Amino acid sequence: MRRPDRPRRAAALLAAAALALAGCSDGGDSSGLPADEGAGTAIGGDGVRLGILGECEGPFGGFHEDAVGGTVLAMVNHAGAEAASPTSAVDGFTGAEAAGTPIELVGVGCGDDTADRILQEVRRLVEQLGANVIIGPLSGDEGIAVAEYAKEHPDLTVLSGISGSQEQTLQVQAPNYFRFFGDGAMWNAGLGDILHNQEGWDSVAVIADDYSFGHTSAAGFIAEFCGVGGQVDARIFPPLGTTDYSSYIAQLPGPDEVDGYFWAVGGTGTQAALEAFVNAKGDLTGDQHAGNLFFNPDLAQALGTDIAGAYVGGFATLPGDVTTPAIDEYLASADAAWESLPGGVSGNEPAPPSTAAAFGFFYGYYSAGVALIRGLEVVDGDVSDPSALHEALSGLTVDLPYGSVSLDENRSGVVDVGLSQLVLGDDGAVVQEAVAVIPQVDQSFGGAFGPDTPSPSREFPSCEERDVPWEGDAIPVVDGVPQR
Amino acid sequence: MRSGSPVYRRGAALALLVVVLIALPSVVPAFFINFVMTQTLMLGLAAATIVFLAKYGGMVSLAQFLLFGVAGFMYGNAALEAGSRGLNLGWHPWAAVAFALAVTTAAAFLLGALASRTTGLYYLMLTLVYAVIGYFVFAQITEISGPSGITSIKRPELLAAPVSLYYTALGLSVLAYLGFRALGRTAFGLALQGMRDDPVRMASLGFNVPLHRTLAFTLGGFVAGLGGLVNVWWNGQIDPASIGIGPTLILLIIAVIGGVSYFEGAWLGAFVYVAMSTYLRDLPLIDRIGITEARFNTVIGAIVLLIMVLSPQGLAGIADRLRRRPTRPRRPAAGSADETEAAIRRAQLIDE
Repeated sequence: MRRPDRPRRAAALLAAAALALAGCSDGGDSSGLPADEGAGTAIGGDGVRLGILGECEGPFGGFHEDAVGGTVLAMVNHAGAEAASPTSAVDGFTGAEAAGTPIELVGVGCGDDTADRILQEVRRLVEQLGANVIIGPLSGDEGIAVAEYAKEHPDLTVLSGISGSQEQTLQVQAPNYFRFFGDGAMWNAGLGDILHNQEGWDSVAVIADDYSFGHTSAAGFIAEFCGVGGQVDARIFPPLGTTDYSSYIAQLPGPDEVDGYFWAVGGTGTQAALEAFVNAKGDLTGDQHAGNLFFNPDLAQALGTDIAGAYVGGFATLPGDVTTPAIDEYLASADAAWESLPGGVSGNEPAPPSTAAAFGFFYGYYSAGVALIRGLEVVDGDVSDPSALHEALSGLTVDLPYGSVSLDENRSGVVDVGLSQLVLGDDGAVVQEAVAVIPQVDQSFGGAFGPDTPSPSREFPSCEERDVPWEGDAIPVVDGVPQR
Repeated sequence: MRSGSPVYRRGAALALLVVVLIALPSVVPAFFINFVMTQTLMLGLAAATIVFLAKYGGMVSLAQFLLFGVAGFMYGNAALEAGSRGLNLGWHPWAAVAFALAVTTAAAFLLGALASRTTGLYYLMLTLVYAVIGYFVFAQITEISGPSGITSIKRPELLAAPVSLYYTALGLSVLAYLGFRALGRTAFGLALQGMRDDPVRMASLGFNVPLHRTLAFTLGGFVAGLGGLVNVWWNGQIDPASIGIGPTLILLIIAVIGGVSYFEGAWLGAFVYVAMSTYLRDLPLIDRIGITEARFNTVIGAIVLLIMVLSPQGLAGIADRLRRRPTRPRRPAAGSADETEAAIRRAQLIDE
C-alpha cells in the first residue's frame, strides 16, 4: 500500500547484482583470478622462508618460548645464526645459512591447542607471509590438521614440532610432512615389557584422560603390555579437567584384584586422581603403580614417599640424569646462546636456557631444526625443487643429542625411548632415575597400529598377544650411563 | 525525492557493495579473499542469525555456533568415505549437504521448541546450556566425532577453486541479508516483532507465541547451518573445540561489535574481528607496547567494552547515527507538515 514501487526498484538493483554474482560463481571454475592461485606460496626462489608454529595460548601456552627456542638453537648450533635477543627466543634469529642457502624467519604462529586456530596460523604463515618451510606444531590434534594442510600444499615442507598424535604420520601420510621424534604411544614403549616380564604384573587397570593424548598414551602401554602377555582388566577414562576423581576411582578394581595400575592422567589431574585413589583404595605403593610422562617426583610432596618405585614412561628427551658428552654439549650450547629463557619448565620465569632445552617441547623443535639443516645440506641448499628436499629429508638419519633418529615409511621418527623410576634419593626425597633405554621404537608396535587401524580410543587397541619388536631389548642405565 | 529516499539509497548502496565484493578477487591479494573475506562472510552469516533472533524475536541465542557446528559435523560424517573417526557414510557431497542441513534444521526445531517458553536471561542461559551440551555430545560420542573431530573433509567438486568458497559465502550472505530483512515485513515477521514487544498481548490476540519462536529459531538454525557448511569446506576439519564456549562467545561478540539490532552489523563485526586477529600483530611497533598475538583477546575485549560504552548499538549503530544526522530537518516545521513527516519517518522505520 505504501510506495509499492520503492522496494521494487531496490529489488531490481539487487537482482542485477545477484545475476552478476551468479555469473561469477558459476561452475567454480574461476581461473585467472589471483585468489584462485591457492596457497600463493613463495616456493622456489633463493632461500628458505621459515615459519614456526608455536603455542602462545591454551593449556600449553607457557611453552611458546620453548617451542621457538628449540628451532632457534638448531639454527645457532648448525647454521651459524645468532639469537636475536639474549633473554627471549621468540624474537628469533639472524644470519642463518645452510649449505649456502639463507634461512629467514618470516613469522612465528601462535596456537592455542585447537586445530582450527593452528590452521589459521599456518595459513597466515604460508599464504600471507610466504613461508615455504614450517616447523611445528606442538600438540596432537594440531599435528593432524597441519599434516592435512601439508597434504593439500605439496610444495610446502613441514617438520612437526613436538605433536604426539599417531595419525599425523600413520594415517594422513602427507609426503611433505616429517616428524623427527616419537608419538604419544611410543613414549610408553618398554613399560609393558618391564612391568610384565621383570616386575611380574599379569593384570593391570588403566586410567587415562578422556581425550586424544590420553587415549594415545594408554594405547601404547596397552598394546605392549598385552603384546607381551599381560591382561588389562579395566580401562577408565575420566574427562579432561575432572577435579573430583572419586567416582572414577570407585570403578577401578581393588589393589588385591589387579597386579598394578597404569596412570595417564595429566595436568593437575595426576595428583587429584592419585589422592582420590588413596582415599578410596588405601595407600599407594610404588611397586603397584606406573605412569606416563606426567608422573614426577613432585607427586611425593602430597602423596608421601611410598610412591617411590613407580615406573615412569618417557618423552622426547631421555631422563634428566642420563649424561653423555653429546647431551652435555647440547645443554651447554643452549646456555651459550642466551643469557636466560623464560621457558615453561621454569614457570615462565627467566632461567638458564638448558632447563628448557632438557625438556621435550624444546627438544622436538630443536630436532626439527637440525633435520631441516641436514636436509638442506643433502640437496646443496637448492630449494627450487621441493620434492628433492622431501626425498632428502625422508632418507635422513639425524644424529641428535639424545640419540640418532631415522624415519619410517610414513616419515615418522624411529627413536630411542628412555624409561625411569621414582626412587628414594640419599636424602630421603623422591627423585626420578633413568632405568632403561628402549632402542629403535617405531609407531607400529609390531602391527598393533597401522594405516588401516582406528585411532586410539577408549576401546582401541584391544588386548591381544603379539610380537613386540623391542621385547627384551631394553638397554639398562646404570648411574645415568646407558650400558650399550 | 523518491530516488533520495533511505530505502532506495540503502538498496543502491547494497548493490554497489555487492558489485565491489564480486570484483574484489581481481584486485586484492589471494590471502585477503581466501582467508580474511571468506572467514568474514561465513562468520557474518552465523552472526546474522543472532541478530535475526534478537532483533525480531528478542531472543539472544548462544546456540547459533552449535548449529553452525552441527552442520559441519554432519557433512563430515556423511561425505567422508573412510577415516579413523566418524560414520564414514561416503555419500555424494550434495547428498551430504542436504543431510547436514536437514539434521541441523531438525536439531534447531527441537532445541527451539524446548526453549520457546523462556525469554530474556533464561533464554540466554538455556541456549548456553545447549552450546555446552553440544560440545560434550561431539566430544564424547566417538561414533560421530570424538575429541579429535573429523578431519580430511573435502568440499564438492563444484567448489574446488579456493575463490568459489568466497563467492558461495558472498551469495549466501546476500541472500540471508535480503531474506531476513524481507521477513521482517511479512505477517510472520511482524507477529514475531509483536511477540518481542508484548508476548502476552499477542497470545491474547490468538497468536501461538511458542510456535512462532520455535519457527524463528529453526530458520536461524538453518541459516547458521549454511555458514557451518562453508566453514567446514574452508577449514577441511571440525572438532569439538571448534564449537566450544570460546567460539560460541566470539560469535556473540561479533554481533555486539557490529550492532545486535542491525543485520549489516553482523558482517561488519565479523570483518573487524577477523581483520584484527589477522593484521593487528603486523602493525609496526605494536609489540613494543605489549600487544602480541597472545594479547589479541585482551584487545578484542577492550574494543567490545569501548563499543558497549560509546555505542550500545555497535559499529552499525554509529554508522547509522552518522548517516541520519544530515537528513534531520533544520527548518521549523509547521504543524501539518510535521505530522506528515513523522508518518513517513515511521513508515521508513518499518521498511528498514
